[in-house]
Amino acid sequence: MPRRRTESNLKPKAFYPELTYVLLEQDSELYKTAYIIVKKEKGIYVVMKREQATQSQKLMVFVLTMSLYGLATLFTELIPKFQVGIVEFSVEYFLFIPLVLGMLFDPLSAALGAATGELVFSEIMLGQFGGLGEVEKFITVTIGIYVAGRLVRNPKNQKMVGIAAMLGVIVQQFLGTMVDILKVQFAIEDFEAVEGLPEAVAVTEGFAFLNDVLFSGILFCLLPTLFLVPRLYGKIEPLLGMQPRTENTALSAIGVKTAIVCVIAFLGAIAAEFLAESGFELVSWEADWAESTGAMAVGMLIAAVAAVVVLVIMKKNAERAQMQK
Amino acid sequence: MEKTMKKLSENILDKLSLDFLRNQVLKNAYGNDDTVIAKLDPRVLIVWYLFFGLVPWFSGNVLFLAGCFILVAATTILARVAGLVLFLFLLGVFSQTGYLFLVSLLFGGNAETVIPLLVLTLKVATVSLASITVFSGLDPDRLSNGLMWFGCPEKLSFSISYAYRMLPMLMEEFQNVLLSYRLRGKAPESSGFIGKVKYLIYEVQIIVQAFYPLMLNTAKRSRTTVEALEIRGYRYAAANKKVKKMKLSSLKVTYDDMLFLAVSFLWMAIVFVVISYI
Amino acid sequence: MNVLEVKDLSFTYPGADVPALNHIDLNIPKGDFIAIVGNNGCGKSTFCKVLNGLIPHFITGEFEGAVSVGGVDTQTVEIGDLAKIVGYVYQDFENQIVRPTVLDDASYACMNYAMPDYLERGRQALKNCGLEGKDEEYIWQLSGGQTHLLALAGAVSLEPEVLILDEPIAQLDPRHADLIYGILKDLNERLGKTIIVIEHHTEYIADYCKHVVLLKEGHVEWMLPAKEALDKVEVLQASNVFPPQVTLAAYYLREQGRLERDFVLPATIPEGKEVFGKLDFANPGIYEKKSKGREVLVSFKNVSVSYRTVKGEPKKIYEGLDLSLYKGEKIALIGSNGAGKSTMMKLMTGLVKPNKGEIFLKGIPVHETKPEHLSKYVSMVYQNPEDMFIKDSIEADIAYAMQVRSVDGWKEKTEGLLERFRLKELKNRDGRLLSGGQMRRASLAIGIVLGPEILLLDEPTANLDIATRKEIMKTLKDMEDVTDTVLIATHDMQLVAEWAERIIVLYQGKVVADGSRNEIFGNQEVVEKAGIRPPEIFTMGKLLHKDAFCYTVEEFLQSFV
Repeated sequence: MPRRRTESNLKPKAFYPELTYVLLEQDSELYKTAYIIVKKEKGIYVVMKREQATQSQKLMVFVLTMSLYGLATLFTELIPKFQVGIVEFSVEYFLFIPLVLGMLFDPLSAALGAATGELVFSEIMLGQFGGLGEVEKFITVTIGIYVAGRLVRNPKNQKMVGIAAMLGVIVQQFLGTMVDILKVQFAIEDFEAVEGLPEAVAVTEGFAFLNDVLFSGILFCLLPTLFLVPRLYGKIEPLLGMQPRTENTALSAIGVKTAIVCVIAFLGAIAAEFLAESGFELVSWEADWAESTGAMAVGMLIAAVAAVVVLVIMKKNAERAQMQK
Repeated sequence: MEKTMKKLSENILDKLSLDFLRNQVLKNAYGNDDTVIAKLDPRVLIVWYLFFGLVPWFSGNVLFLAGCFILVAATTILARVAGLVLFLFLLGVFSQTGYLFLVSLLFGGNAETVIPLLVLTLKVATVSLASITVFSGLDPDRLSNGLMWFGCPEKLSFSISYAYRMLPMLMEEFQNVLLSYRLRGKAPESSGFIGKVKYLIYEVQIIVQAFYPLMLNTAKRSRTTVEALEIRGYRYAAANKKVKKMKLSSLKVTYDDMLFLAVSFLWMAIVFVVISYI
Repeated sequence: MNVLEVKDLSFTYPGADVPALNHIDLNIPKGDFIAIVGNNGCGKSTFCKVLNGLIPHFITGEFEGAVSVGGVDTQTVEIGDLAKIVGYVYQDFENQIVRPTVLDDASYACMNYAMPDYLERGRQALKNCGLEGKDEEYIWQLSGGQTHLLALAGAVSLEPEVLILDEPIAQLDPRHADLIYGILKDLNERLGKTIIVIEHHTEYIADYCKHVVLLKEGHVEWMLPAKEALDKVEVLQASNVFPPQVTLAAYYLREQGRLERDFVLPATIPEGKEVFGKLDFANPGIYEKKSKGREVLVSFKNVSVSYRTVKGEPKKIYEGLDLSLYKGEKIALIGSNGAGKSTMMKLMTGLVKPNKGEIFLKGIPVHETKPEHLSKYVSMVYQNPEDMFIKDSIEADIAYAMQVRSVDGWKEKTEGLLERFRLKELKNRDGRLLSGGQMRRASLAIGIVLGPEILLLDEPTANLDIATRKEIMKTLKDMEDVTDTVLIATHDMQLVAEWAERIIVLYQGKVVADGSRNEIFGNQEVVEKAGIRPPEIFTMGKLLHKDAFCYTVEEFLQSFV
């Protein structure tokens, strides 16, 4: 028989120099939490509590989120969007999937899984990879989901789940909009000179932001999340061999440190784009180079022809050698 | 007449069915593994992509952009990309710039707007086609090896080949669950405008609800997968540099790769000659 | 020498009240071929996960005792090192394959453990598992049996001393099942591997295994040589393990005093021949189940179907199919994997449209009707019952179709169905969290909710142990008053023989035989061509007398005196 103790007279860690071992009765709440290892030593149950999910459990959450969100974005990528006037009705937003999983499981794994899933399934598998824009999307999605997942300490608290879901979308959309505006500015030269363009961009992007938050955000994030979290809570965790999140097992509230990391990551996203683009501008890429002297262009042409000829001959030789073998 | 119209609209609907989407996706992922592009070394293609995916953004020269566009379009044809992907590409390019064009006219723009927008269209088209060639044309598994060579995180390259493996299974499951909803549920009548809207809401509702069973089913699946990964040394490999080296030793740059680069280079040289003598 | 030593092992999952494994002591000698049997929930899978170190390295809980494999204590070494000693194939093996192509997956573990000759090892493993020449194929191009072999090859590539397989043949047709066991036998005999299978198909245990371990409530009841183990008919049946039919027949004959008392019960057909050889055939004229349907319910007229394929030409499934199904029939659709069984069912539900030809269901042209409009008349229960559960409780799942159609008294009808299928206590549970048998029952209930004219069942007994299969057969009989026309696509010949009135044999998209069970099972040519494996007792009877048609042990006992 394990020694009976109630949770309230749990011995403080300080009594145990090794710190990780605590005596506990078998049917107490803490015993039943997921992230603990129990060992029986000298007839006493010894509990080692761990702060976070194990590496494998994190990998499971990552794989799960990646598969599901990836699949969802794959379809949304394939379904053409339709527009009524300038209001865009798109179902591109399946963000509720990682939001739900981020609230139930390890938020960071879910966030990274979602971002990776979108990148892999819809961008890479379908060849819709948009270059640098994807870096920004990756980072904003990760931050949005992570923040939302961390906010929910008790998935049974509907109000908190709702707030977190909306906040996740707003954060993600807002970051995305900011980068979008900057991107158009850089893509078109003399952005300011084209009449009506700056206003047009500001208005469309601003509108898109509101549209996404109010339309996609409420319909595709808030409502599905509120629908799914209570239904999945307590059911999906055992399938992964984990215990449901409770106030006790949740990660602590978002600290200043996490917020700073998020901000730095976002700045990194913007900086990457700025750096790449302005860097090339310094070399003053197009103007001089493209209109360079004819002699240089002809030189290039001759070099290229020579390279092709030499390679074809070498290839033929190699093939012949292979044949002889 | 009415009958043919009905037949036609049914046909289009059929084309957009889940089954059709699934077939197109699979075709795109697995159906073109024997093309010239698919046989190239992934590292060479990635370098090639870096040029055609980035450089067009920083050029305003219409001729140069057109040159890039023609070359990239030719490679896309070589890669035998699935029809739907190309259709989406066209739709994307059109809506992206066509949309901007209309709005800027609305705010008092004029014909001068056309040239910057043409430049923008060429830029978007070239960059997208380059990515379609590389990412659609290349076997995802080879692509993941290429990315790994350039130092991308191991988790990403794992995710790519895992997705490549699981895609058919996941799609089938998704289809089955949606079917359960379709067959047992009752869709509202889809005649008239209100009916159409109602039908759409119903469809969206079903898709969202379908993720409840899907999440649970996939959770079961993920658990086995991760346990198996654990046994099969996934984590061990992630921490071992030797494994990465072994994995990447299968990559070899051949004459075909060099030739591909040389021909691309030749074409761009011709473009430069043309530009400088006009 | 023992390759596996288990000393006083106990394991309890976190939060569970009773231990899953309870003081297990077991030694397994090198080179053995062992079957672990026991009823559902006796701890078979948990035990195997202890052997390969998943417990306690990966799945946490309360662990006591010691386990050593190949001389190493599982607790002291890394799980990766254990993988080189113990290979494991899951029951849901398709999820353990993580790479897109065959050779790639077979050599994956070797590569991860940085073995420089990983490709060579992968190739060797594929060769050992009968997958030679499939190196470059994509996983989705493989059949179910081949996928299972690949999962096995993935484990074999590390050259472990011990291989553990969790229900290796649960989803396979007999041909593939033989193939798997043939390969296991080869690995065991030629390469000296120790093989451990969790298995409830006792015919295979009799044919292939050397020892049997019976687990009961988390502890080892006994470990005996296979022959002795199968002799313990009563003990096995108490654990829901059903010995081969030949063994059962001999057991009853012995109990009834019709055979002398002291002999070891036969376990295979050749052994049976010796024991039963002295019996006389008493042709009792066993009732022949025959279809009496006259009113056409479904008719296929010159139907041709082909599927879009990823590469190349569309694949033809049917060409010019003509077939009629009558009201009130109990039809079994049999044939190997890929013969076109699922396609036929999908044609009837309107999910697949024929390229040519017509299909009528009660006069409705199925080929031009949307599946939604047909769901009142035809209903299909998938092979994987999990895909049938779309709500968060089985009560809601059963009610759903009636509720959205505002069927009168849907609440009472739901109650009634829960009652009929013995699901009342489980009504608030999520379908996919139920046991195998409960899941099937629930999926059948969902299938007949709208009282369809015809019910289509895809492999309703796959993955079930024999006790649960019997239960499902009983449920099928219970449903007769709701839906009288039922079509089942299956590999389970016991189900076919005991239930069907009409058997349709498909082979490469053609109906090669269509008739009663005597006409089908008695037709040697058809049986061989389509790879049908009649129930063991039927084959036994036939071997003893050419006019014997016995499909159950009881019928056998009546036929031979």
